Amino acid sequence: MFQPLRELEGGIKLSLNVAARAPRLRVEPIFESFLRQVYFTGVTAATGVMLRACALGAIIIAVMMDMLDADVELAVKILLLLVFREIGPLAAAVVIILRTGTAVSAEMAMMRISGQTRALRYLGIDLYDYLVLPRVAGITLATAALTLYVQFLAVLGGLVLSPFLIEASFTELTDRLFDLFTPVDFYYSVVKSLLFGFAIAACCCWHGLNPPDLTQNAVPKAVTRAVTQSAMLVLLINAVFAYLVFGILFFGLIKANV
Amino acid sequence: MTDLAVRYRRKTTRHEVQAAVPRGAVTRVHVPDEDAKAHLVTALLKARTEPGEELELFGESAAELERPRRKQLLARVGAVSPIVGLITNLNAWENIALPAAYHGSPPLEQVATLTHQVLAAFGAEPRDFLARIPDELGMLERKMATFVRSLVATPELMVFDALEDGLSSAECRYVARFETEYRARAPQGTVLYVDTREDS
Repeated sequence: MFQPLRELEGGIKLSLNVAARAPRLRVEPIFESFLRQVYFTGVTAATGVMLRACALGAIIIAVMMDMLDADVELAVKILLLLVFREIGPLAAAVVIILRTGTAVSAEMAMMRISGQTRALRYLGIDLYDYLVLPRVAGITLATAALTLYVQFLAVLGGLVLSPFLIEASFTELTDRLFDLFTPVDFYYSVVKSLLFGFAIAACCCWHGLNPPDLTQNAVPKAVTRAVTQSAMLVLLINAVFAYLVFGILFFGLIKANV
Repeated sequence: MTDLAVRYRRKTTRHEVQAAVPRGAVTRVHVPDEDAKAHLVTALLKARTEPGEELELFGESAAELERPRRKQLLARVGAVSPIVGLITNLNAWENIALPAAYHGSPPLEQVATLTHQVLAAFGAEPRDFLARIPDELGMLERKMATFVRSLVATPELMVFDALEDGLSSAECRYVARFETEYRARAPQGTVLYVDTREDS
């Protein structure tokens, strides 16, 4: 009954612990582990999403212009709004959860079950320092980088591939894009993706270090919990963010009109 | 009165385990079962006791230790034990160097020199050995890596926990030389063998 409360408390403690230990990233093995995490999360995931991200932009523009009968300006505007504010961060978060979240939670649960975390403690190595901090910092940074990469490719794909699907030239689309792009879109997606990355990493680390029991069967259970709760956290953050940014403004406008 | 590195006592309903390890000596402690062995080694590695246990480490009672003092005492203890195994996603060199890199002492160059010397003494080819992850190492090689990792800190007390378990008789002759290698680097050090076998 108290399990969700315990998980919430554990997650908050872990997050505060990581934030307090950020300066420890300068220690050599921790920094190496951080770089390794950035590489596995950001760099190796980049090739897999390339084609899908390019297709995403083209599909958004084609659907908007075909189904909603939008003009070039509206199509590009929707592309920017969708890609930068919603789909970009969410797509990157899904990739991170499926690729890295599963790996991190399984690896840490295995380390816990096989007594490797105990060995680290006996060597005087703090688990938060050596295991949690580099993973959380690495995944957070890599999520932001992967989000920007997906957004860039989706917009580029939309601009390059759309002229083959609709009656609009590349130059026309590009001109509209530069007119409509605002730095707010960029800041919005960076902040959101950093929050997504932090939440995914903290959730997966916590479940990895706290498997339901210490048998081999606990590994898939820990991974399942980590993945489902990470996904729920991402959706929750997305909803809260959307409410704060669009919701307050939106309701404000309604009240003003009434 | 003999100066003791370790004084340990654990009383349960089934048996009582006592150990007194003089400083600078080589002592063999035979315990009745795996559980008793795990309790003894864990108490030494944590400098902490559970109910029913008493431990004095280098003359200080573990029950009364403050956290910083406990940390200082633990820095003087090394162990080759299945309880302090290798980290599976690091290769042998990364495993050996991890504590030194994390604590910032001794310098990694010194660790590399010591590692090469010890491996050479055991006839292992360092480049090949150090690049392999624990799953690619045999039981003897894993024990060697654990031994070198412990040796790096030149502990005052070296605990060899079930050192010969899982080894062939030829390999047992190799691990018997761990004590000599340790003595060469810590002439005043204390060696404690912990085993469950009654005949050893």
